[in-house]
Amino acid sequence: MPSEDPRAAQSRVIRIRIRVNGVWRDFKLGRDFSAPTTLAHLLREKLGFTGLKVSCDEGACGACTVLRDGKAVLSCMVLAVEADGHDILTIEGLPDDDPVVEAFARQCEPGYGTALQCGYCTPGFVMTARALLDENPSPTMAQIKEALSGNICRCGCYSAIAQAVLHASETITARGRAR
Amino acid sequence: MRQPFAPRTERAFLGKYRPKIDGRDKARGAALYADDIARERSFPGMLYAKVLRSPYAHARILSLDASEAEKLPGVKAVLTYKDPMVASLKRTNAGWTDGVDTVSFRKMMWGTFRDRCVLGDYACWAGDEVGAAVAAESELVAEEALSLLRVKWEVLPFVLDPIEAMEPGAPLVHPDITANNVFPADPFGGGDVFVDKGDVEAGFLASDLVVEGRSVYHNATQNSLDNWCCLVEWVGDGLTVWSNSYATDQTRMHISQMLGLPIHRVRAVSSFVGGQFGRGDTGDQPFFLFTALLAKKSGRPVKFRHSRRESFHDSRQPAIYEAKVGVMKDGTIRAMHYKSVGNAGAYADHTMFALKYAPKEITEVALAHVSDVRFESFGVYTNKLPACMMRGVGNSQFNLIFGLMIDLVAERLGMDPLELCVRNFGHEWESLPDRSLERVLEEGARRIGWKEKRHLPGRGPAFEGSKRRGVGFSCHPAWHAEWQEVRRGKVQVGMTLNPDCTVMLKAPSVETGNGSNTCNVLGCAEALGFLGIGVDDIHWSATVDSDQGMKDCVQTDSAVSYLQSEVMAAAAVELKDRLRETAAPVFGLEPGELEIEGGRVFPSASPEAGMTVKELLSSGDLAPITVFMSRSPLAEKTGVPYFANFAEVEVDTGTGRVETLRLVVVNDCGTVMYASGAEAQQVGGQCIGLGEALTEEIIYDRATGIPLNFNWIDYHIPTMADMPDIEPVLLEVWKGGGEYGACGIGEGTVTCTPRAILNAIYNAVGARIDEIPVTPDKVLRALGKV
Repeated sequence: MPSEDPRAAQSRVIRIRIRVNGVWRDFKLGRDFSAPTTLAHLLREKLGFTGLKVSCDEGACGACTVLRDGKAVLSCMVLAVEADGHDILTIEGLPDDDPVVEAFARQCEPGYGTALQCGYCTPGFVMTARALLDENPSPTMAQIKEALSGNICRCGCYSAIAQAVLHASETITARGRAR
Repeated sequence: MRQPFAPRTERAFLGKYRPKIDGRDKARGAALYADDIARERSFPGMLYAKVLRSPYAHARILSLDASEAEKLPGVKAVLTYKDPMVASLKRTNAGWTDGVDTVSFRKMMWGTFRDRCVLGDYACWAGDEVGAAVAAESELVAEEALSLLRVKWEVLPFVLDPIEAMEPGAPLVHPDITANNVFPADPFGGGDVFVDKGDVEAGFLASDLVVEGRSVYHNATQNSLDNWCCLVEWVGDGLTVWSNSYATDQTRMHISQMLGLPIHRVRAVSSFVGGQFGRGDTGDQPFFLFTALLAKKSGRPVKFRHSRRESFHDSRQPAIYEAKVGVMKDGTIRAMHYKSVGNAGAYADHTMFALKYAPKEITEVALAHVSDVRFESFGVYTNKLPACMMRGVGNSQFNLIFGLMIDLVAERLGMDPLELCVRNFGHEWESLPDRSLERVLEEGARRIGWKEKRHLPGRGPAFEGSKRRGVGFSCHPAWHAEWQEVRRGKVQVGMTLNPDCTVMLKAPSVETGNGSNTCNVLGCAEALGFLGIGVDDIHWSATVDSDQGMKDCVQTDSAVSYLQSEVMAAAAVELKDRLRETAAPVFGLEPGELEIEGGRVFPSASPEAGMTVKELLSSGDLAPITVFMSRSPLAEKTGVPYFANFAEVEVDTGTGRVETLRLVVVNDCGTVMYASGAEAQQVGGQCIGLGEALTEEIIYDRATGIPLNFNWIDYHIPTMADMPDIEPVLLEVWKGGGEYGACGIGEGTVTCTPRAILNAIYNAVGARIDEIPVTPDKVLRALGKV
């Protein structure tokens, strides 16, 4: 794809605003992005949110998953301009004690292995699981599998990931009761 | 909760179920990979490189005009094949290393044929890097520059099939190396017949029964999510390369020797790597070199990263095997003859390793009690993407035929195939039956329900009308015992004890995800048990930097889980001695009169008179105590343990669809270093194993030789929805040399999966499919329905 003609950028000063992890950010056409710039590129290269990974760059692996207005989206398939005015949550925006992060980090019970090995797909899985549990805090195994089957883990930690999501669900339910 | 494994020896740290040490950093996205580190924010003025790729399966560049590309705003450097700094580069191959040892240009494997030019004018597959590379302000500009190159191609006839490639008159891929596309003999690989024990022909004549079989292994690829990338920056007359390579010492050696730089002028840094699986298990990757040259030419840091499509740059070696087995009525295997043709693709890479070296290793072990054995093999060049290393190298291909022959022979004899294995396979240092193999098969059979579920082929009950179920298995000897790692050379470890009794562990090995980092920290805590410290008191760096001056224990061969821990066990003894020497003047005693236990130093004669190690070290000059140990793996031949996979499948005879219902993965580990990590390997390996068995395959357009599915939509990797229930089973039956006597298991977990599934399919429907992946059309054809 051709790069943005700088003269065109000067003549059409266009700005977009995106709320990333609670903070509104301004971007200028030409300086920060061009027409084909993806949300993934903007978040990683301009803002330094490198938790999300760009692996396939064509919507096939889920490694770049972030939440847009609470829904899981593939940030490599969202243009920067499509995020204008929206609320984006990256993995860096999750609280320190996020139950999904904790469950993925701690998963080790006999019979399943760990929920991560190389860790490259993990932020994408965590965000996809986060969106699932926000919508349905007590999913069944079938619902977990359906929600997470768009993400690829080549290390193959699928069964431990499913267990981690179950454990996160239990923590969320327990914390809800405690409140 | 599932049944945990029971360790043979209870230890304080090793062999436990616990989280991976980097679990939290990875789960919150804080672990930094090469692509995260090498960004413009950290390297102002950074440029992006792209390389020209051949649009033809076989072609030569007649001329290349880069003038328009050079004029494009944002383009900072263009290199072409005519550039003296490119044209003067030595021809190379993948044999710089098979990944385990550090080797020089002169000592590389397969040195008798060097078939790769860096950025040459000759393309051997559709996707080959040839002709030119550019560095520009952005990847988009670099891509646009490539499109402005005016290239005149001479398009040559091509060949994709290895059998066709061997025929007279076939297009020659490397005519300067071979006149019939078949690899020449090599000191590492041997000749066409590379194992010839006893007399196979006489063996077949003496046998009561001779059975023949055939299997075809296709070309899956590693598919690491973290696409290979590097950033090169020159400072003065030296360079630093940040990359997600699995090896730093060899990367440094490769760049040093190819670019003619002294070793101390090359710094190679690797940190977290998003999956290895054998990807580019070689030191010859040209992208490091042209990126370095572009950085030199432009005077700016340059980053090169493969796109996902470009990351299909090597595959498993596809192999066609034919076998003949002679057996006596009582089940004693008398003679075995295996013959293979391997499709190397455009470059030899490690095809010879897969076809000859790996099967030879196995033959010497598992078939030690078979009197007549012959192996012959032909590595053949074609115009497909080159075949290199992939998890389970060579063994996966061999197991597909090995497990088939076991199933075929057992059926003809009316014998249980498990019994046939125990009767014949072991290793040369012990008599039969082999205890490890026996236990592995017993355990697998029990867990899958072998006796209850195995029935005559195709004679089981029907489910939902058209569905049939069956069980199958396959087994294999391990190839990662310590004595098998001798070729690796020195394994290096350093330990620094700080004044506050915390420890800096130097056990350089690139973190590729396999759990060896956790093994290392656990091994260190175990070895330093006398300090009374825990895992949190040990720092292990995830960044491997050649400036540390240590050789990294290369992340291949599944053996890093224990190799460095074995050296740590010895280093800890030395550290204890140093600590005694430090304490001796304080106590006014000889070092030999002191004991250290549970974090306390005390006179052996009066244990109550001691002090803590922390008190001791804090009272002196506060200098840390450092020990360094460099040791070769133990060469004592201790035999090997076995592993096996058992599968239960359901085949829909109406649609041809195969669903894997259950997998049981059994590994005798010698010693389980880290239980959760080992089980993660057993469970995780099935993504590759199942994918190779049922869905993964690179498809070519036969008319043009162009690969069609270099993406994850059309090349199907199993996801959570595709995975069956997997039961990992860890055993400790065999024991190797050294303190722990462990054996690597990671690669082997994928090795038996395709054959176990194929044998289960046969058990389900009574029709054999000898070619993977087993797609529905093949099932329907085998059933005579299409």
